[in-house]
Amino acid sequence: MKAMIVDDEPLARRELRRLLASFPTIEIVGEAANVEEAVAGVERWQPELLFLDIQMPGGTGFDLLARLDQAPQVIFTTAYDHHAVHAFEVNALDYLLKPIEPERLAAAVARLHAAKSHQLQPTSQEPAIERLFVRDGPRCWFVPLQEVSLIVSEGNYVRLHWGKAQPLLARPLSSLEQRLDPRRFFRANRRQIINLDFIESVDLGVGGQLHAQLRDGPEIEISRRQARIFRTLTTI
Amino acid sequence: MLAAMVYEYLDTDARPADARTYWACQFAGWGLYGLAQLYNAIEALHVPAGRALAEIAALNAAAIALTHLLRNFMRRHRWSTMPLRALLPRSLAVSVALGTLLGLAMHFTSIAPMWVLGDEVVLPQIPGFLLDPMFVRTCNWSLAFFFWIAIYFGLTSLRDQHVAMLRQSELTRALQLSELRLLKSQLNPHFLFNSLNSVRALIADDPECAQNAVTQLARTLRYTLRSGQEELVTLERELEIVDDYLALESLRFGDRLRIERRIEASVLGVRIPVMLLQTIVENAIKHGIAHLLEGGTLTISAALHGDTLHIEVKNPRPASEHPASPDGIGVRNSAERLRLLFGARASFELDLSHADLALARISMPRES
Repeated sequence: MKAMIVDDEPLARRELRRLLASFPTIEIVGEAANVEEAVAGVERWQPELLFLDIQMPGGTGFDLLARLDQAPQVIFTTAYDHHAVHAFEVNALDYLLKPIEPERLAAAVARLHAAKSHQLQPTSQEPAIERLFVRDGPRCWFVPLQEVSLIVSEGNYVRLHWGKAQPLLARPLSSLEQRLDPRRFFRANRRQIINLDFIESVDLGVGGQLHAQLRDGPEIEISRRQARIFRTLTTI
Repeated sequence: MLAAMVYEYLDTDARPADARTYWACQFAGWGLYGLAQLYNAIEALHVPAGRALAEIAALNAAAIALTHLLRNFMRRHRWSTMPLRALLPRSLAVSVALGTLLGLAMHFTSIAPMWVLGDEVVLPQIPGFLLDPMFVRTCNWSLAFFFWIAIYFGLTSLRDQHVAMLRQSELTRALQLSELRLLKSQLNPHFLFNSLNSVRALIADDPECAQNAVTQLARTLRYTLRSGQEELVTLERELEIVDDYLALESLRFGDRLRIERRIEASVLGVRIPVMLLQTIVENAIKHGIAHLLEGGTLTISAALHGDTLHIEVKNPRPASEHPASPDGIGVRNSAERLRLLFGARASFELDLSHADLALARISMPRES
């Protein structure tokens, strides 16, 4: 598993690197001392895992996550501000308190491998996004896209319908669409993308549109043009 | 609407629970007094029941209205804060005035005289004025008003005492909390755990450096924990700790932290409030240099001008950051101690007028 260390303190990076030396499954592909370096590093090395400090000059660890297209796995490393990690809604993430205890690190890595074995490996050259980091006001989420039923365009933003939460993501729908798994997500109309796994039933409408009923959600109109594609896709 | 206005006029209590208690006491007290009068009028004086009821109800309603006005009057003139020797004659005067008013009203509206003369032997020995119904009625009403005032002050002072006790315990709690917060901010956990992490890294790479770091950390902690015991230390002593602290921070920040000292030899013996400079230096790093990608130079200068010591701590800070209050319990506490110790002769100023620079200036007298 390719991992990257993001921490502004050289000694802290060195210490973590040494601790990780005893985990052969973790390959450290690079280091970064601040958000700018980290953004470039993620681009270059495509790590699957970040060891991420929170307080850094020029931006926090959260700022970094907000700038990434696709949120990698993250283990926060922090000296004292672990309450910041608790700001996360719903899905708790791992965090390690510095100085890092080797046993805690081992447990975190083990949990990570357990989580990874459930995931599908992407096939295309540009891998589809599996998780998104969303910061909406003071709240942060890691949103697994397979749990998102509907994505609605709101100007330059999109709203993710994810269970009861509907966080807003600062990204236009068209740019997000390119990175979604086409086997799962379908552009129903100009403003909406639906998760095919959430479709409960499909009705024929007048004039060639389709009406898709989402599980625990609204009925979505599939425009005439998209309905043709939808039919070939699902052989209705 | 009208009812609300009347209510607003009548009710001047801050808390609705107090208002309810007050009105309950009013009606219960005057109600009982009225019942006793009624009993006396019907049983002893044989006044027709309907007439007695109407008169006594009207008189007691008037008493409620009068005492309510009296209460507003007493509040406006702050009777509750008066000493007893001022309060007592005023209460007596008011009681007699109100008592005379209602006594006369009762006398001239009721069937006068209603005195039943029974014992012909004893009666002539009693002075005549004691038998005068007008005098007796005035006395009764005056006494009733006097008791009303006594009970009113008794109850309100009990309540005020209770409120004061509650406030005191809240105050104690807030004080303890702020002491705890101060200690925590002085211990600077973020610095502490990051330093421990640096030490852990150094143990393998550079054991000698690790040993030094542990010593420096121990000295810094001991100084912080002891700082509660002594008020003033020499600048020399404080600077030793600042140096230890900066050495540890240099381990963390590497070459992002550069330090410049401009300390005149003459100032080393001057005594300053313990942790004053240390807190300011910590702040300069925490809110300034730590946020800068390239770091920056921290400048500490100290000089004597006449009998006044001037200390200045200068650090670059992120330009974008608003000149927010410097998180300040530590710095605020330092400034407060400076003020308590030296009053107007000392000053502390945090100058954030430059967009990318913070300047902390202290001036204080040299203790002779």
